Amino acid sequence: MIDLLVTRDYYVASFLLLGIGTYVMIAAGNFVKKVIGMNIFQTGIFLFFIASAYLDGGSPPVLTDSAPYVSPLPHVLILTAIVVGVALTAVALGMIVRIYAEYGTLTEDTLKEVRESE
Amino acid sequence: MNLELPLIAFILATALATAVLRDVLAAIIAFATYSLGIAVVWVVLQAPDVGLTEAAVGAGVTTVLFLLTIAKTVRPSGDRVLERLDVPALGVTVLIVAVLATTLGALPEIGAADTTVITSDVTQYYLEHAYKEAGVKNAVTAVLAAYRGFDTLGEAVVVYSAGVGLLVVLGKEVFA
Amino acid sequence: MSESTSEADLEAAETADDLQSYVESPIIMATVRVVSPFVFTYGLYLMFHGADSSGGGFQGGVVVATVMLMLGIAFGIDPLREWVGEATLVLVVAGGVAAFVAIGVGTVVAGGGFLDYSAYGIHHASKYGIEVVELFIGVIVAGTITGLFFAIDAGKDGGDNE
Repeated sequence: MIDLLVTRDYYVASFLLLGIGTYVMIAAGNFVKKVIGMNIFQTGIFLFFIASAYLDGGSPPVLTDSAPYVSPLPHVLILTAIVVGVALTAVALGMIVRIYAEYGTLTEDTLKEVRESE
Repeated sequence: MNLELPLIAFILATALATAVLRDVLAAIIAFATYSLGIAVVWVVLQAPDVGLTEAAVGAGVTTVLFLLTIAKTVRPSGDRVLERLDVPALGVTVLIVAVLATTLGALPEIGAADTTVITSDVTQYYLEHAYKEAGVKNAVTAVLAAYRGFDTLGEAVVVYSAGVGLLVVLGKEVFA
Repeated sequence: MSESTSEADLEAAETADDLQSYVESPIIMATVRVVSPFVFTYGLYLMFHGADSSGGGFQGGVVVATVMLMLGIAFGIDPLREWVGEATLVLVVAGGVAAFVAIGVGTVVAGGGFLDYSAYGIHHASKYGIEVVELFIGVIVAGTITGLFFAIDAGKDGGDNE
């Protein structure tokens, strides 16, 4: 059991990060915190991919180093995903700024009340 | 090996701090620390390209955008330091982690030489042919701009669309 | 500071008067003045040397974008936006995407596949092609992130969008 956890430590960390991200997304009342939760969830997935590409004693996939190399393909996928993630975060934050301009609140419960009273 | 466990403990602790801190500013600062820890993890896992991006994006750009947002809106002030525990959310979280944890035994050991990703034909093909076919020594760049160039064009268009989308949300025509 | 920022500051002052988007600080200004040229050069280095060492368009692009963020924090976002120009960023980003597509379609016109650089028939076509594409990716990423930064700062009603 302990051996299973130690040899797959990054996967365990990845699962826990997915859990923490989900919790923040559901539990946080503030929209900015929800977006932070989404970012934690994303990095959990990134960790899963990069950990799967790892090879003990491997060099980075730059061919001037000596073989063996870790796998370059997950790195490419995650590299672009990080940049797309920041663009996504920015759009979410833009929506938050817009919600604040319309309703004057950033709290989920207050926003529901304001919407119902309209 | 001896660096791994403290590092994992660090990122989990900072992620947890982000989750439980009630003050949004405090949570943002904890998240910046977390991103820096994650960037170190990428370097430890031999992914320097990803680490570079994460260090600039996570600890830099994202944090600045979050700070800018709360400077433009409100920062809720309260007496309590920590969030109140949300039991239904915790239930969902425990369920998700439990379901994911059942797959743990089926996953290969991290760093083993016989994992599917390392032994796959695709990985071997990229590593063997990157210099011969694409003429560049960084296999990540070769895959990014040559082998998966069409995908990268799509990603670039997604980033472009995010800019357009934000302008639509804010009702503007230029970034001003 | 322009009117828009001070208005927004007043609005936020009810709950967050300690949070302003711009505080003039000689320490931050001096630091940014010293550091930003080096960070900018490093970003360009990452874009141009992505072929043979770690780095590339996405990495260099975000590093260059952080220079703009640093300048905005140190010297105020509104003066920086005026210096960059309102429509310039839109043109830069759209131009970057168009150039990427043009390079890809160009290889098809020259008789190869999409982004099949060897169709251009120059020496080391693939290497130079990849570097040019990386450069345009960097332009797109840096331009978009700077633009998102400006847009969130201006908010819905802020900014001088006439």
